[in-house]
Amino acid sequence: MENSSLFDKLSSRLDELSNLPKLDDEVSISKLIEEKGFSRREFMTWAGAMTSMLMLPASFTPLVAQAAEIADRLPLVWLHMAECTGCSESLLRSATPSIDSLIFDYISLEYHETIMAAAGWQAEQNLHNAMQKYKGRYILMVEGGIPHAESDYFLTIGAHGKTGQESAQEACADAAAIFAIGSCSSFGGVQAAYPNPTNATALSNITNKTVINVPGCPPSESNIVGTLLHFILYGTLPALDVYNRPKWAYGLRIHDACERRGRFDAGEFVEQFGDEGAKNGYCLYKVGCKGPYTFNNCSKQKFNQGTSWPVQAGHGCMGCSEPDFWDKMGIVHEPLGDRLYHTVFGGLGADATADKIGVGILTVTAIGIAAHAAISLVKKPKE
Amino acid sequence: MIKIIEKIEGEAKLNFNFKENKIDFVDVEFMSTRNIENILKGKRAFDALVINPRVCGICGHAHLMATVQALESCYDNLILSDKAKIIRELTLNFELIQNHFKWFYLTLYPLFGKKQQILKATYPSQLMSKAIAVIGGQYPHTSYAIVGGVACEITEIDLIKVQHYIAQTLKFVEQNLLKVESEVFLKTEDANSLYDGDLTEILDEIKNSELLGYGKSYDRFISFGENSFFKKGKSVKTKVTHNISLVDVKESQITSSFAKNVSFKDKYYEVGPLSRAMINKTPLIIDVHKKYGDSIFSRILARIYEISQLLEHSRGLIKKIDLSQPSYIEPSIDISKLSGSGYSAVEAARGTLIHRVELESGIIKNYEIITPTQWNLSGGTRENHGVSQRAMVGLSDVKIAELVFKSFDVCSVCTTH
Repeated sequence: MENSSLFDKLSSRLDELSNLPKLDDEVSISKLIEEKGFSRREFMTWAGAMTSMLMLPASFTPLVAQAAEIADRLPLVWLHMAECTGCSESLLRSATPSIDSLIFDYISLEYHETIMAAAGWQAEQNLHNAMQKYKGRYILMVEGGIPHAESDYFLTIGAHGKTGQESAQEACADAAAIFAIGSCSSFGGVQAAYPNPTNATALSNITNKTVINVPGCPPSESNIVGTLLHFILYGTLPALDVYNRPKWAYGLRIHDACERRGRFDAGEFVEQFGDEGAKNGYCLYKVGCKGPYTFNNCSKQKFNQGTSWPVQAGHGCMGCSEPDFWDKMGIVHEPLGDRLYHTVFGGLGADATADKIGVGILTVTAIGIAAHAAISLVKKPKE
Repeated sequence: MIKIIEKIEGEAKLNFNFKENKIDFVDVEFMSTRNIENILKGKRAFDALVINPRVCGICGHAHLMATVQALESCYDNLILSDKAKIIRELTLNFELIQNHFKWFYLTLYPLFGKKQQILKATYPSQLMSKAIAVIGGQYPHTSYAIVGGVACEITEIDLIKVQHYIAQTLKFVEQNLLKVESEVFLKTEDANSLYDGDLTEILDEIKNSELLGYGKSYDRFISFGENSFFKKGKSVKTKVTHNISLVDVKESQITSSFAKNVSFKDKYYEVGPLSRAMINKTPLIIDVHKKYGDSIFSRILARIYEISQLLEHSRGLIKKIDLSQPSYIEPSIDISKLSGSGYSAVEAARGTLIHRVELESGIIKNYEIITPTQWNLSGGTRENHGVSQRAMVGLSDVKIAELVFKSFDVCSVCTTH
């Protein structure tokens, strides 16, 4: 019953969007997908996968397919701030068969500094035009932290030498929805690591509007595309966690759905890279995996079109979708334990951090982990 | 007269100064920095493995390799298995290859008035990224290379997957870029006897628009990254010497830009695929250099030729992997007890990347990163131009100057580290 009313709601939202003018009358996404050699069946299979990722029942697949087909009704502006372009890189590698990339190619990516052909004055003009023409309608995605306040290293962009902060604020003002793509725009990112020389900060700190964070360094392509599809489907903000991350993607810990979770429960740990445990796929907690403290769907969605993810490659999660993981999740190859630096607690320990970030369950987890680790130590001492 | 172009894959700005309708000086400015070197100071050595790949999302893997090798060079007697060395080299090759595709189809195409080929850029780079992901877990920003080896325990099946991705990429190259078998292309020694793929289309465009010979600079090349394929050395005109030292590489600050200049024995050198090919004495590139010098034509051909070379070389490397060897060999002492200094040089897509580190009881005292674009885009003076500056002097059209500038495959993301 609940599902049927949601289905109707989403359905009418999509019908409304369908009536909006297309950005390019010559091309349609469905025609394009067909031209590129994808059958309807392949497209529906892709839509089915997206439906499941968005935590919707399988019966919603036709709606997700419809959402993808009308994605060209909503213009998208993608801004770069202080960053490494890794998020764009992640996006540029979205799924083969390239349905995601086809969609991104043709949804009126009105302004994207890395992949657009324009440069210089023309680029700035494009941005200005897009923001005027689609006032109140465009989706804003921002990649990168915002250097702000008293800093010698203001980021300036464009021929008029605007600061990054000014550009971002201007773009936020008339956006229909604002997404901070990646840990940099969500939380400040690597440039905000101690001592944060550029005073880099999160996008949400420089605007009064709601910013939905899609962190990860980089986030997987499916989380980026899923965020867009979710907005098209619902037209409203998704359910968010304490850090404004969509719950459909960041509701669970890496640890919850980890392929090595059984090893953890059995107390089987890699004690050192290259040991027998590593060869047999044991749990990576003791060589520094931060999966128990990290909320993301990497263990399910993986990266590079589901090819792999860090834990599969034998290296623990480093917590890249958590705020300030640079400073708070070290040392990289050791369990979180009591080794914390540059925190307000002066490195008091994992339990203190768990309290600070307000997710009480982590405290319990930390104790659980300590117990597991202790058992394993008794069973298999490190040499 | 000053004209400005900005947004050159990031935040670089060019001020063109004209005299009698010809460019007589170009000021290259980088208007921002992220100060990663200052962030590294005071952090634990292994934090660099997390932070440095984030210097650049476009060649982050090269930064991971440079970091791990710089830290390893702080040890006196660190041992790596051949398996670990080959695996690292493979993933670095794949990163170079996928970068070259994106540069060609996303950046270069529109400069010749053609539509950007997004799907042609993404398809082969996706394949190469997957090949990296099979070994390293994800791309960009892997973390699988660790001090002492690699974290991955790959299997025969993983190698089959990687071989499959190489084969698919080769197929793409043969069907699109070259329209000829890769093996035939690799044996070509005459720059005028190319076939009719996307590569030739662009090269013909250069000939037809009478741009042959444009973009010449000092004809001085350098390369420090050494592995089973690339040789270390410098080439001045065509004279190659391999006996060069990083001691002679100097970084210096300039007032007009946040990016530091880089020189070798106080002279500016070009880095990148053309430099590597000149130092490796690759016959086709030597031929094109003989005909057209260090021009945009040679630069483009050298970059694309490297795709085929590296794919072929990677196939050979896979055959040499002995899976029974260890992936990781524990260093003799814990890094937290280590004091000393080290450096590394690896070949990234755009040229030589250098990392230097100083450790005191495992804490980073100093960290210096020299990126390839710093070499090519050093902002020299009117009397002593940087490499790209010199290549643009004398041109009368800003659009052509932009083409020359971008033939160096500029990456300002790295440069504003």
